[in-house]
Amino acid sequence: MTIKKTYEEINKKIKKGEAVVVTAEEIIPIVEEKGVEKAAEEIDVVTTGTFGPMCSSGAIINFGHSDPPIRMQKVWLNDVEAYAGLAAVDAYIGATQISESRGMEYGGAHVIEDLISGREIKLRALSNGTDCYPRREIETHITKESINQAVLFNPRNSYQNYNVAINTSDRKIYTYMGILLPKMGNANYCTSGQLSPLLNDPKFITIGVGTRIFLGGAQGYVVWEGTQFCPMSLKTDDGKTVYRGGTLAVIGDLKEMSPDYIRAAIFKGYGVSLLVGIGVPIPILNSEVMKYVAVKDEDIYTEIVDYSFPRLNRPSLGWVNYKQLREGRIRVRGKDVPTSPLSSYAKAREIAQKLKEKILKGEFLLQEPIQKFPKEREFKPLLEIR
Amino acid sequence: MLKKKVIFTFSSENVERPVTYQLIKKYDLWVNILQAKFKPSLGGKLVLELKGDEKQIKEGLDFVRQIGVQVELLEQEVLWDEKKCVDCGACVSICSTGVLSLDKVTYKLKFDYEKCIVCGNCVEACPLGAIKVTF
Repeated sequence: MTIKKTYEEINKKIKKGEAVVVTAEEIIPIVEEKGVEKAAEEIDVVTTGTFGPMCSSGAIINFGHSDPPIRMQKVWLNDVEAYAGLAAVDAYIGATQISESRGMEYGGAHVIEDLISGREIKLRALSNGTDCYPRREIETHITKESINQAVLFNPRNSYQNYNVAINTSDRKIYTYMGILLPKMGNANYCTSGQLSPLLNDPKFITIGVGTRIFLGGAQGYVVWEGTQFCPMSLKTDDGKTVYRGGTLAVIGDLKEMSPDYIRAAIFKGYGVSLLVGIGVPIPILNSEVMKYVAVKDEDIYTEIVDYSFPRLNRPSLGWVNYKQLREGRIRVRGKDVPTSPLSSYAKAREIAQKLKEKILKGEFLLQEPIQKFPKEREFKPLLEIR
Repeated sequence: MLKKKVIFTFSSENVERPVTYQLIKKYDLWVNILQAKFKPSLGGKLVLELKGDEKQIKEGLDFVRQIGVQVELLEQEVLWDEKKCVDCGACVSICSTGVLSLDKVTYKLKFDYEKCIVCGNCVEACPLGAIKVTF
């Protein structure tokens, strides 16, 4: 008998407190013991989690109007420039923009963390002045309570499967994948593997536009495919299927978020980024969905890439799985190389647990996507056309 | 056998004194230089790890104090702010002596101060600014 469940049926069980929910880690031994079919019958939702640097993040803010009013054309928050080319008092603060006075030690991500934490932010804005918006300059202070909206809107988060960064050159390099020691002195990776949202639903059977998620401690939504979305799988030379190009665009109310799940980060010599905590619940609609959420670290492969090569297509040094990476050492070209995750597995686990508890308490219902993601997308390079 | 980490602060008066030589030769201590910062004729700082007989370490340090070099014992020269830490592990692979590791069960960061040689690699690798060196 093949199991089939609908979102309505699962939500009904959640409301009655009868839904069976486990995390993407906890499901592994269950499926090993009972098999996919039986597990799909018994389990209703599997929760996933990730907490790592997601550079393509930022917040839309509406400051409210001053008197006399100003049409802000240039805006700085704690000396970090926000994009103000929209209406009069709307701006978008990007996570990676750095401070004009403090440089790389403070950036948009810090502004976002400070706002969430309830700290006061210095706002400065300039304008040409118009008949309807006569003011040309303003300097004041804001908090999340004083402004109308603060909405986290991240165009590309939760990368399905990122590569492993290594450095074959003779000098230490500073990258968005952390510090890479010369002569393959270390290797850094950045995915929560078997807990990672998009590795648990690699074909986007359940995740799409409208999916309700855990975002930074609040409820958020998937609003679109993430930028650079490229959902097609590929095969390694020895025939393993690898999913890696899926991404999510997500949105949520920044005012309800917590600094436990949204943090500013500085990658020395590279810049500022935002650590974002995301959890996606996966409804077990059928045994196919269950088959995918039962994925284990040892079955998920990623490519080792040489970051010392300063070009778009960097040389590959082979493939490893997340079990090997998480053990702390991998073999690359005969060398024993220590590994670092940049994505916190402890936090990913905490998020998956937290989301599980919210569902069990009936505080978090599942939302069926209102539109599916495309099955194919081209990953285009930028050409220089003169 | 005792192991101790110390900071020696030299002034312009005693910066020329061959202190490490004396510690090895006279007090039979095993000396490992972890860090050294000197300005010729002005003074400087030396971070050492000393290994040896308890009595000889004491006498050796007394000798260093006698010639006017300031001696500080190092217990935790690298400060880890657990509240700021998110257990991402960015510091783990860059740590040359295995001080930092992720627990195999909880995946939370573990800090083994004993093994630390105050190289400072973790300070620049930590994206949260959660590790500081007091030297």
